[in-house]
Amino acid sequence: METYFLKDEDVFKFYNRIAQEYELFVPVRVETSSRIKCDYGFNLPSDDYALRKFSEVNKEDIVYNDYRCIEPIRTFLTYIKEETCTYFKDQPQNNQEKPPAICGVKNCDIFSLKIQDFVFLGGNEIDPLYQERRSNALIISSDCPNFKEACFCRAFDINPHASEGFDFNLSPLTGGFLVDVASDKARRITDSLKDIFVAAGLGQTSGRAAKRENVIKKMDEHLSCHKIPKKDVLKEIVLSGLNSKVWDEQMQTCVECGGCVFMCDTCHCFLLSDEPAGDNAKRLRLWDGCMFKNFSRVAGGANPLKMRYMRLRNRYLKKFDFFVDNLGIQGCCGCGRCIDVCPGKIDIRYILRKLYEEKYLSAV
Amino acid sequence: MKKNIYQPFEAIIEDVIQETALIKTFVLRPKQEFSFCTGQFVELTVPGIGEAPFTPSSDPGIKDKFEVTIVKAGCVTEKLHSLKKGDSLGIRGPYGKGYPLDKFKGKDVLIVGGGVGLAPLRSLLYSLFGDMDNYNRVVLRYGARTSADIIYKNLVPAWSKNKKTDIMFTVDVGDSSWQGNVGLVTTILKDLSIDLNKAVGVVCGPPIMMKFVTLKLLELGFKPKDIYLSMEKSMSCGLGKCGHCRVGKFYACKDGPVFTFEELKDNHDIWD
Repeated sequence: METYFLKDEDVFKFYNRIAQEYELFVPVRVETSSRIKCDYGFNLPSDDYALRKFSEVNKEDIVYNDYRCIEPIRTFLTYIKEETCTYFKDQPQNNQEKPPAICGVKNCDIFSLKIQDFVFLGGNEIDPLYQERRSNALIISSDCPNFKEACFCRAFDINPHASEGFDFNLSPLTGGFLVDVASDKARRITDSLKDIFVAAGLGQTSGRAAKRENVIKKMDEHLSCHKIPKKDVLKEIVLSGLNSKVWDEQMQTCVECGGCVFMCDTCHCFLLSDEPAGDNAKRLRLWDGCMFKNFSRVAGGANPLKMRYMRLRNRYLKKFDFFVDNLGIQGCCGCGRCIDVCPGKIDIRYILRKLYEEKYLSAV
Repeated sequence: MKKNIYQPFEAIIEDVIQETALIKTFVLRPKQEFSFCTGQFVELTVPGIGEAPFTPSSDPGIKDKFEVTIVKAGCVTEKLHSLKKGDSLGIRGPYGKGYPLDKFKGKDVLIVGGGVGLAPLRSLLYSLFGDMDNYNRVVLRYGARTSADIIYKNLVPAWSKNKKTDIMFTVDVGDSSWQGNVGLVTTILKDLSIDLNKAVGVVCGPPIMMKFVTLKLLELGFKPKDIYLSMEKSMSCGLGKCGHCRVGKFYACKDGPVFTFEELKDNHDIWD
């Protein structure tokens, strides 16, 4: 991996070069009027960042996102609704789609790709749509110099900066960025822009290390107030808490909007749905979610997850039991998108903490 | 071109057999090479309407065609029931792991079916009957709602001819045309004269029936590892990707649909 320095004024040359080959997505600021209060004296930002097409956005609106964007990264790899195939006749796909280049990706998103890759590329059958997009996509990650109130990656030992799993990684420094180049795809781009990428100095890399440490320290302090259990006990506390009251209590405010599953970085469930298309037919794939009532309903009406608390519990079992068993990692990257999106204020940090306390700290 | 794992291939409906008012058996001739192991399932597509999982009910030894017995229970099956001889269907599969026949060898095989749950079990019965020297006994216990809901009635005399079989049917609600037992299928799970050390139980039916039959088999002394369940779960892709059919650390589509109760017993929310 090579590390270069890129000056602020050259960033657009970099973007323009990428946009020649890719559909480049860049972060823009979305101001939010509601402020999230931290009652322990932290002043954390509440604005959001959204990813927009570089070709369609005002250049002055492009910003550096201090933390993850609203969209989970999987929105670029599987679509909310898309055609998977036609049958019984193949129809030539005139696929003019440029591969995506995604800026502003954070380490939580990169962690979630381990889950998505396991689902769509693992097992006996490989998903051809995902595979094509995943192998062609350019992942441009960047360090988090700050975090939102809902961010809790560090609770699961995931850092707010990436050290692998990207093509490029940007780390902001005074006057520009340190750029890590980690793949041949990325190298081809830097090779064609030799004049703007200069080798990074030792002072710059150690400056970055200090900034990274600072963010981690501040975030750890923030998270200490939430008392989120460590990743090694997640499976254990979810299994021991199957009969906990927390599931039902938390679901009292659920309006079954599905926001938590659709905004989740690591969720992947989908439903195949068919439509007639002339004398042919097509098969669509739609995102689905286990918090919906009919997710596990079978023909004839039986539904093993008919109560809302069962569906919440099922979701945690999938994330903290199924994935730990099958992949060795938890199906949660601590991005906090489910917390931000939930109109019922259902908070995964609270639920995990409660389960932990019920197992280890309950008065006997 | 890359294989599209979601694309079905075509099969022609060669015959439709009306089993009961709500149940039909479709004889399908796939246009591509196709074979399955007993207990595996296929995804059947009604073109332009949708897809649903079914377990073939025919003898896996027959290679050029196969049968699927389907109860009208939802929007896909309702359309399926309106299809006629000569119409096209889509197939994906076969998927999953079927019945582990090797583990049944030399044993008494107790097969308990409920309603249309006898369909996958019929394919198992054909597999066992075709190789009866290898099995000690086949005991079939089957329950339907009423005598009019019993499927494969005309096949029972032939099945019963084999000396190593013991077949008994029951109905939940009796009527004047029914001479046999009245009561849930659990009421005919007694006096089985089965050697529990050398026996397996195979259960397939609606979730609520599977639950109570499993409890009954445990009460009779069956070990959880000897109870084989065909899990009916909501399924979409059949490939272990769509997430619908998770049971504990498994997906019913790729790790099942046949599980031992040992594999499932620690999970909540597996029945109804």
